[in-house]
Amino acid sequence: MEPVLQMKHITKEFKVLNRREGVKGTLKDLFSRDYKILRAVDDISMDISRGEIVGYLGPNGAGKSTTIKMMTGVLEPTSGEILVGGNVPYKHRTKNAQEIGVVFGQRSQLWWSLPLIESFKILKDIYQIETKDYNDMLELYASLVNMDEIIKKPVRQMSLGQRTLSDILAAFLHNPKMVFLDEPTIGLDVSMKARIRTLIHALNKEKQTTVILTTHDMGDVDALCRRIVIIDHGKMLYDNDIEHLKQFFGAYRTLKLRPFGDRSDAEEKIKATVTDASVSSDDDWISVLVDESKTGVMKVLGQIQEIVKIKDMQLEEISTEEVIKKIYEGGPITQ
Amino acid sequence: MKKKNFRFYLRLYGKILAQDLKSKMSYRADFIISTIGMIATNIAGFVSFWILFRNFPTVNGWGYYEMLFLYGFSLVALTPVQCFFDNNWSLRMYVRDGSFIKYCFRPVNLFFYFQSEVFDIKGLGQLAFGIGTLVYSWTKLAIAVTPLAILKTILFLITASLVMVALQNAAAATCFWITNSFYVLDLVLRFKDYAKYPITIFTPVFRFVFTFVIPIAFIAYYPSLIILRPDDVGVLTWISPLVGGLLFYASYRFWMYGAMKYSGTGF
Repeated sequence: MEPVLQMKHITKEFKVLNRREGVKGTLKDLFSRDYKILRAVDDISMDISRGEIVGYLGPNGAGKSTTIKMMTGVLEPTSGEILVGGNVPYKHRTKNAQEIGVVFGQRSQLWWSLPLIESFKILKDIYQIETKDYNDMLELYASLVNMDEIIKKPVRQMSLGQRTLSDILAAFLHNPKMVFLDEPTIGLDVSMKARIRTLIHALNKEKQTTVILTTHDMGDVDALCRRIVIIDHGKMLYDNDIEHLKQFFGAYRTLKLRPFGDRSDAEEKIKATVTDASVSSDDDWISVLVDESKTGVMKVLGQIQEIVKIKDMQLEEISTEEVIKKIYEGGPITQ
Repeated sequence: MKKKNFRFYLRLYGKILAQDLKSKMSYRADFIISTIGMIATNIAGFVSFWILFRNFPTVNGWGYYEMLFLYGFSLVALTPVQCFFDNNWSLRMYVRDGSFIKYCFRPVNLFFYFQSEVFDIKGLGQLAFGIGTLVYSWTKLAIAVTPLAILKTILFLITASLVMVALQNAAAATCFWITNSFYVLDLVLRFKDYAKYPITIFTPVFRFVFTFVIPIAFIAYYPSLIILRPDDVGVLTWISPLVGGLLFYASYRFWMYGAMKYSGTGF
């Protein structure tokens, strides 16, 4: 598959003032030349092929937006090479803009007071879309979502869900090679989330559009992404299939118990007996995280049963959310 | 991809404008109230002007109708900045909260795209007022109506508009570097009020400032000399179309320089 996006050793540094405290410090800052270099993105390389949906994840402040801004040409990398559909984004910003679509979860890029169809017509002119392609696209849209509900409505009168839907449709309208979706389902209800995901999936499949999705909602990731890239402190932590990630942590299972009698007493006993698993507890349950590559869940349960009377129990698979959380918290990544 | 020339942008602007007007008309109360407000503002401006001249029949050798001419000239000259570049007033808000970034992803000129979003219809009333005042004072001054005189007036009105647009662009673009550019914009707006007086009434220091630092004298005074005092036209009047063009271009480059450097908020 031809790569749509290529990044080689991309680094982005910002110069920020070392701020001092207090009124005196603020006054000193006015004349200060005391800068420090903040490395927001640190040596990131990746190739993304046509038709991929990549989940781009990381905690707040990890460097995600900085990366996206470099891909869209708003920022120039400090060092490294970047190509989007053959263009160097920051050098040919207008040309690059023709090949990409961008959606921000909570900020509409459409004309606020115009009905959606009029926004579409203006976009048709801006992107110089051929009339046939434009009509085909509208036909495709009509087959995917209920267009009657939104097409004649001014954007300002739309619900957040309808607005997001419209923004996504607008971003795909000129059939770009790549679409960037930043938190597309933020603030939406469950059924709208599902509709948005179905739409993104269908458009990606139909048009082979590459999609880069940044999100904190693991539901989006599970529903859409086969590949995920995780960064933190500007550094790449993970870049592989989502299955691989689960497999890697899939050996973990959580055994949840509710004992008869005093819980903390029981927890102590379990901690003393079960040595090759980590034990923790909250208000309801005692959780025993078992690494199945070392020992079996049933064996652990057997050990516990001998010392504590169990009232209730559950067995949980580790979820994507927990896996990601473990990685953010600096959990073990030894591939 | 076809080349995006002047005709492309003109057509695009026309389409956006037509849609925008259509949707504005649909908010009838808003439309009527802002029209009334606009008329009241203009009447108030005119009344204060009239009171001033009941007490001082001439200002430094400038008669009532000459002053009226200057006033009308500046009103017409200020119309384009009001109608087409009003989004400059919101620029600092977009820049501060990071939403300016949404303008950065379209394959069209960033300055054009940003300004095309807002058309302020209130400017049209000001235009009507200005033209009325201009025609009235013109007839009262008994200036001959020749094609050349009209051509000159139009050319110098365009010049004056360009100067005003340039001043506002430059003032608005300061928000790419400073957090609250409102004061800069406000300052320019206040100075704009002095544009309708002949520059000779000011002290030499302000004359210098209004000619070379904040060139508001190019908005009405220097250009209108060509009609009002054809025997008294200095070099500054003759070069004013050039000054207008240059200032506009410089302010556009300055605006774009700030906008291209812009990278939003957050990491």
